[in-house]
Amino acid sequence: MDNLFLSLGYMPFISIDWTIIAQLLNTLILFLVLKKLLFGRVKQIIDARQAEVDKMYSDADAAMTEADRLKNLYADSVAGARDEAQRIVADARKTAEDQSEAILDEARTAASNMLAKAESEIASEKKKAVNEIKDEISDIAIMIAEKVVEKEITPADHEKLIADFIDRVGE
Amino acid sequence: MNGPEILFYIPIFGGLPVTETLRNTWIVMAILILLSLWLTSGMKMQGISKKQVVVEQGVKMLYQMVEDTMGKDKLFFAPYIGTLFLFVLFSNLMGMFAMRAPTADLNTTAGLILIYFMLNQYFAIKCHGLAGRLKGFVEPIPVMLPLNIVGEFSTPISMALRLFGNIASGIVITSLIYQALTWVSNLVFGGITAFPVFAVGIPAVLSIYFDVFTDVMQAYIVTMLTMVFLAMAMD
Repeated sequence: MDNLFLSLGYMPFISIDWTIIAQLLNTLILFLVLKKLLFGRVKQIIDARQAEVDKMYSDADAAMTEADRLKNLYADSVAGARDEAQRIVADARKTAEDQSEAILDEARTAASNMLAKAESEIASEKKKAVNEIKDEISDIAIMIAEKVVEKEITPADHEKLIADFIDRVGE
Repeated sequence: MNGPEILFYIPIFGGLPVTETLRNTWIVMAILILLSLWLTSGMKMQGISKKQVVVEQGVKMLYQMVEDTMGKDKLFFAPYIGTLFLFVLFSNLMGMFAMRAPTADLNTTAGLILIYFMLNQYFAIKCHGLAGRLKGFVEPIPVMLPLNIVGEFSTPISMALRLFGNIASGIVITSLIYQALTWVSNLVFGGITAFPVFAVGIPAVLSIYFDVFTDVMQAYIVTMLTMVFLAMAMD
């Protein structure tokens, strides 16, 4: 080497000189640079990603809780709706039954009223008819009797004859 | 064995020598900074590239290791620990590219450990208070005072020397291997050629242990020790 390069000589193999200060400063400079350029930047990325992952996990947990909550809510709603539907159907059925019962009662009452009315009408008509016939027959009977018998009969006999006749006719 | 070559002098304070060590340190720094810029370019939140997966995984591993070794409350050390590891690792591996490793210079390792020593003192006093810190020297029994004081300094000194010794010895051993292989070559093929036949290929295999393994190992060790002792001083 000595013949290739102009050498100023060599330091002792082992010695301490000003180089120790230079090396100390070199190391500190290297530390500051690497801390900023390498470790700081990489650590920042790692931490940021870690934070992101943590956030994702907590978000997922929150979403899961919310989903559970909604699921329970919907289940409750569905159950409520089923009960409500059953209640409505039962109410409707009850109302319909009541109504049909009322209608039937009304119809039945009306029918029996009509029947009674008809019966009483029939009875009164019959009575009326019987009285009319009674009057007519008595007139006719008197007329016939006067014409046919042409004899004087006592009013008592007269009355008896008419009553007998009417009784026979009335049956 | 030569020490680091002097490239030029800064003409202040009677001339400060700028050595290979400093130049190679600047190369390492440039590589690491450019690598950081490349690695962190185009980072996204989603749909990330393979490059980003690797760099994120690396940073995560670093933070995990700091958390496991030092505790969650000392995670703010992670960027320095990461810097220390990358700087020492890349410095160690410079030897593989035919450049003198900056960590094969005691100035570099002592500089690193000086930072550790200052951090250690600062955070020990910050965590325990000055009184608690001084009280720590007479525990568990006052007789231990001299040993504790020695221990306070021997630990960083041994850390600096360990790293320097391992990496510098790599250079020594590599140079010894070349000399030995050249000698064997001359012994076998001495009459035919002066070219050191055995010095081709064999050193590469050996350097897997002496360079790669030791380099990675030592980078890990110095990082680990820094973490452990800092955490111990604070707890």
